[in-house]
Amino acid sequence: MLNRTEGIVLKSSIFGEADLIVTYLTKDFGLLRVFVKSPRKTKSRFGSSIEPLTYAKISFLGKEQANLPRLTQSDIIKPFHKLREDYSGMLNIMELLEMNLHFLIDREPHPSIFRLLLTALSKLESDINNGLYYLYYKIKFLEISGYSPRLEICGRCGGLTEGRRHHNFYVSHGSIICHECIGGDDRAVKVTESALKFYKSIFNWKYSTIDRIKAPAHMLAEIQNVINSHISFISSGSKSFDKRLFLSSR
Amino acid sequence: MTQNIIENLVNQLTKLPGIGRKTAQRLAFFILALPANDAKEIAAAIVDVKDNARFCSNCFNITDADTCSICSDSSRDRNKICVVEEPSNVLAIERTGIFKGTYHVLLGALSPLDGITPDKLKINALLIRIKDNPIEEVILATNPNTKGEMTAKYITEILKPLNIKTSRIAYGLPIGSDIEFADEVTLSKALEGRRDL
Repeated sequence: MLNRTEGIVLKSSIFGEADLIVTYLTKDFGLLRVFVKSPRKTKSRFGSSIEPLTYAKISFLGKEQANLPRLTQSDIIKPFHKLREDYSGMLNIMELLEMNLHFLIDREPHPSIFRLLLTALSKLESDINNGLYYLYYKIKFLEISGYSPRLEICGRCGGLTEGRRHHNFYVSHGSIICHECIGGDDRAVKVTESALKFYKSIFNWKYSTIDRIKAPAHMLAEIQNVINSHISFISSGSKSFDKRLFLSSR
Repeated sequence: MTQNIIENLVNQLTKLPGIGRKTAQRLAFFILALPANDAKEIAAAIVDVKDNARFCSNCFNITDADTCSICSDSSRDRNKICVVEEPSNVLAIERTGIFKGTYHVLLGALSPLDGITPDKLKINALLIRIKDNPIEEVILATNPNTKGEMTAKYITEILKPLNIKTSRIAYGLPIGSDIEFADEVTLSKALEGRRDL
């Protein structure tokens, strides 16, 4: 059966001599792995259309539940090749791609996550160093996929966490624990009340709003720390890409 | 009994890349028809490469000695290093007959999502080689894809403090192809890399 959809290339892995297995985040099929015949040969008709980040209109052939359908056509809609040419920016984008690969289930459509990634890449094309774009993507992704940390109420007693200057985010609980409920020696990440307020307001914003926001660097760093720790914990250390480890592995 | 011997050879040949059952059968009967000496030479060459192949201690190309034939060739320009991903890339560039310098094989390319970090490649060995020898130019001939590009960018960054001329092989259209069928990224790269005539 021939299927058509739009997709963003997340990853490609070498398979055999000149073949590839390409993983897409598609509009209609969610995470989709396809087999691509001989794209590594110079005369391949696929050209650069299966490079990571490419947004393309694709056709693939395979039975409804085929594990590895075959890609038959790929027409570039937007190549996002400028993003691929920025080394440090690309490492940040890899973190976003990794989230899709790690948390999404194959063939489960997620149109909102697809739109989120597409908008993120378009925004990053205009300013690849804007840290808020990356943070917004991570927060929204966790919200849509149901992995958001609980920062508005205490994870133990359910009480409101407002009214204090500092809070403790307990990574193992995935939530803030109020001062009355603190116990044990779990790893906690400090977060200020102002950073928490900023985090809560992000939920009401759209990518277009973010362009007008100028967040203080320390506040951004605090939220990034909470979100990155949370992502590391819920992925149980099984993520294949960790930017900090990558940068320290010279 | 004969059937089993042929069947065994067919099964073994299907382990090769790009060889399906039909091709394996064709090759098996071709080997059967070969003079005994030719067949033994093929078998001996396979055993020989498995027993004696190792990486060159200098450039990590495949060799049967401590250093490969290119590194030990005194007529090669030792001031130029062409950095490639795999030993097969050395063969491809050597076929052009244009490059007269030496090589450095990284044995892969950076791939963060697959856990291929800089320490898993022969990048440190390249740095040591450059520091220990009077190198004038490093030509980055990694593959023109995202992984190869990231690797080239990474090496460029770490070579910056050493003030060595670093160049990247050109992007362009394959000869014999038609502009009409080229994708927009390849074509835009070819336009960016145009040169005066």
